[in-house]
Amino acid sequence: MSPTACLAAAPALTHNTLVVAAGVAAVGCAAGVVGSLSLLRKRPLIGDAAAHTTLVGVAAAFLLTGRRDLPTLLTGALVAAVAGLAALVLVRRFTRTRDDAATAIVIGVGFGLGIALLSGITARGLPGSAGLEQFLLGHTAALTVRDAVLLAVVSAVAVAVVLLGLKEATLVAFDADFAAATGWPVGLIDQVLVTLVAVMVVVGLPAAGAVLVTALVVIPPVAARQWTDRVPTLLVLGGTFGLVAAIVGVAVSAVVPRMPTGPLVVLAAATICIVSLLIAPRRGWLARRHQQVTLEPPPGMRRLR
Amino acid sequence: MNPVLDGWSIDGATAMHAWAIATAATVAAACALVGTLLVVRRMSLLGDALGHAVLPGIAVAVLAGGRPGSPFVFAAAVATGLLTVWLTRLVRSAGSLSDDAGTGVVFTTLFALGVVIVTAAASRVDLDPSCMLYGILELVPFDTVSIGDLEVPRGFISAAVVLGTLTTAAIATWKLQVFTAFDADAARAAGVPVAAVTGGLLAATALATVAGFEVVGAVLVVAMLVVPAAAAELLVRRLHHMVLVAVALAVVGTCLGYLAAWRWNASAAGMIAVVLGLEYVAAVVLAADDGLVARGLGRLRYAWRVLCEDRLAAVWRAEEKGTAATAPVSLVQRLAVGWLRLTGRFVGRAGGLALSSAGRREAEMVVRSHRLWEAWLGQHAQLPLDHLHPPAEWVEHHLGAAMRQRIEAEVGAAGDPHGSDIPPEA
Repeated sequence: MSPTACLAAAPALTHNTLVVAAGVAAVGCAAGVVGSLSLLRKRPLIGDAAAHTTLVGVAAAFLLTGRRDLPTLLTGALVAAVAGLAALVLVRRFTRTRDDAATAIVIGVGFGLGIALLSGITARGLPGSAGLEQFLLGHTAALTVRDAVLLAVVSAVAVAVVLLGLKEATLVAFDADFAAATGWPVGLIDQVLVTLVAVMVVVGLPAAGAVLVTALVVIPPVAARQWTDRVPTLLVLGGTFGLVAAIVGVAVSAVVPRMPTGPLVVLAAATICIVSLLIAPRRGWLARRHQQVTLEPPPGMRRLR
Repeated sequence: MNPVLDGWSIDGATAMHAWAIATAATVAAACALVGTLLVVRRMSLLGDALGHAVLPGIAVAVLAGGRPGSPFVFAAAVATGLLTVWLTRLVRSAGSLSDDAGTGVVFTTLFALGVVIVTAAASRVDLDPSCMLYGILELVPFDTVSIGDLEVPRGFISAAVVLGTLTTAAIATWKLQVFTAFDADAARAAGVPVAAVTGGLLAATALATVAGFEVVGAVLVVAMLVVPAAAAELLVRRLHHMVLVAVALAVVGTCLGYLAAWRWNASAAGMIAVVLGLEYVAAVVLAADDGLVARGLGRLRYAWRVLCEDRLAAVWRAEEKGTAATAPVSLVQRLAVGWLRLTGRFVGRAGGLALSSAGRREAEMVVRSHRLWEAWLGQHAQLPLDHLHPPAEWVEHHLGAAMRQRIEAEVGAAGDPHGSDIPPEA
């Protein structure tokens, strides 16, 4: 079913719904593109720590400003995401805690603080506090046209940055040592990539929520990787899969009452991923099974390293 | 007050809170026990993944008629946990992916599936969508069974059973776990069934995760698993000490977190995670070996020793040349001189400082180290004369008596390249 047909099935299809769907689709697309790069750099879960700390920013932004419009809350979320990544860097620099434990600590404690703040706000019934929990699992129904435009613009900028720095990012992803030896600022390029992932995680909050937004940057690129060994194709496919997943998720959640958007977007992406793992030419399960039967060496089984 | 807690101002409210705290602390102890092994084996993120991934198992089991917290639901959730690990491996090998990517795909997908199932069925069964994220610690004391004349919450009983099982298993297999954790290859070569040991750890993680899931929810269980263990790792060096410290930190943090949540009327699960995080920060700052305070003090002590030794050596050299010592310039130098006077290494008035016999001995050893090092560098490093002083100025604070003897034996009678005498060993 085409995305438009899907949307046509939704009740109360308005101009507003379409614009919001387009904004969220742009986010899904950009997340797929940025995620493809971080998959190549072998750091697919880099956004998870940032994602779980965004709640603190959402709650703090509401407490400090008393407003709950999307730009305010997402600005808070971005600050908190960067703070979460900074905490990760500090733990690495000043303690002997290893990377995996450091990530788990930031995820657990950051999310705990976010939950504590949100529950405190809810329990006190502060005016306008209803709906902050929608950032946990995603909820696009309340987005306005202006919100959607904001999401789309940020996504477009993120994609533009990726395209501008694609050559450098590819070089670093494939051979960081060679890139450093030939004078490229590997650390800076990595920082830009991490920042892009953090930005995508933040603008992905309305679509997928803090708990699941990581999936937007992980699953579509993994699905895309099954179909191609070429970086430009990977980015295009990753972006397309992310876009389709976002539209399907938004459309279904518009039809099913009370269903948060995030899980639906993730399940749509996961479906694409499972199909890709099964039927992709050369790398897919079916193709490899066939190759094993015919005892031919797998011609296209090149690994990106 | 929480909506739930509001009704507690009747008799027995304290008992209710006590049961909730006891349940949370029992779960936290079980998680910290397993978490210690996860942290030393660098498998911390597995706890995070399992916390998310067991949700569909729990949801389906509850839909099939199990009651939350019953052995049936536990078994279903643990099975889902093990299925997750297997699925992750499958996806990883099917897609030629890295560990992280496989985990990221599987746990987000399963959690999304669980949320959809729970939300779709929320009206029909006893599962609240928000309890997936926060846990239902506040409700645990209301679901009780009678044991004798005591009303014991079911949640506490299942937590205690989990803790008992895990403790027994840990004691029984401790040596194997430790051997595998530190050197899996050597363990395999020595005949340890490494796959079974790792599988056991995975099952234990799933069990602890499910127990934690009910109390603090899907995401925060990772805090209970990893944070106390990571804090304990900073505080002590030996693994069996680390387990005990982690369990103690988890229990204390859970109690404080619950009380803080009660006081400030916030989610108990969230506050417990926050307090555990504060414990970790405290460990980072205060750890005896390499906490920030210990490291800062160590650097200060070193800087102070260098300062004092430099003052002593400056006065000794002035005496040797027969000139007046340069007066202390900066404030810290004045402080150092004051300290040296106080400890009896300088005698006499300011301006006309003289070394006491103890001060003289110390100063001679500094100058001796300095000049021996210059002599050694001059012979072995072929440095020009005016390049010998700076490295010696640094090394003079680090040479011990034994090292000075060896250097002296090596440079022989050549003496100081600048022509000064090298003072003899005290």
